[in-house]
Amino acid sequence: METSPARPTPEEAAAVLRDAEESRDRLAEDLVLPPYFHASIGASIVAQIVTGAVGIARQDGAGMRLVVLGLVVFYAVGAAQLFAFRRRNGVWLGGLMSRVVFGTATLASTVYALAFGAAVWAAFADLWWVVAICAVVGGAGYVVSGVRWMRTYRSDPARHGRGESLLMVVLLVLSSVVLGVLLVIGS
Amino acid sequence: MGELDRHLQPPARLKLMTMLATTSEVEFVVLRDGLDVSDSVLSKHVAALSEVGYLRSRKGTRGGRRTTWVSLTGKGRKVLTEHVGALRAIIASVE
Repeated sequence: METSPARPTPEEAAAVLRDAEESRDRLAEDLVLPPYFHASIGASIVAQIVTGAVGIARQDGAGMRLVVLGLVVFYAVGAAQLFAFRRRNGVWLGGLMSRVVFGTATLASTVYALAFGAAVWAAFADLWWVVAICAVVGGAGYVVSGVRWMRTYRSDPARHGRGESLLMVVLLVLSSVVLGVLLVIGS
Repeated sequence: MGELDRHLQPPARLKLMTMLATTSEVEFVVLRDGLDVSDSVLSKHVAALSEVGYLRSRKGTRGGRRTTWVSLTGKGRKVLTEHVGALRAIIASVE
């Protein structure tokens, strides 16, 4: 870092900092989500939990293909919405990708894990209405978590904008793709 | 307390870096409009800050047309934090 002896007065420092923070806040405030962003992500999670639970409970080739189909739908919807966001705003937000779409926020990951676990149990017990309820709860948890993250981001964009590293998200996607391939090959 | 960085002394550069700190990557046109400067002025700032390793720019596309995407580097983020800390210390010195 190259330092300079030129030192602004306290008034100049306050003005330049305020100006910079206003630009930052305006950028965060002006970001617009694509239509049905949260709803489509929530719906894809509902579909993924249902297909995942039913597919695992079937324990046959068709069931494993159902699991993979649910993952493909989720990734397709997530990728389409993220690219729509990027095209619309001219901004790439790592936090939106990891925290909202891939559900690494505490609320989304906790509700998803509980809902998916309960849905698998219910599918083994042939309680299909419980599977449906669990899927809806999982999707709703994702939606609430996403809405909450967007509000948190806008109130403190400097802290929440980047989210987890791209490497971690890529590893997350790759591991589920490998799992899907293994499930299909194994069936 | 961090130190003031001479590369961030022009207010437009501090604004540019602060805007980038809230995102992973921003398109050139969005930055230009947010800073209310011309293409050439922004290009000069981006080139100067890229040269010292504070920013990274790459050619890409948006909606099918070619454009430039700009992001903050780890070094840029650290320098920005220190610069803002130094500014806050100056402000606090009279409070």
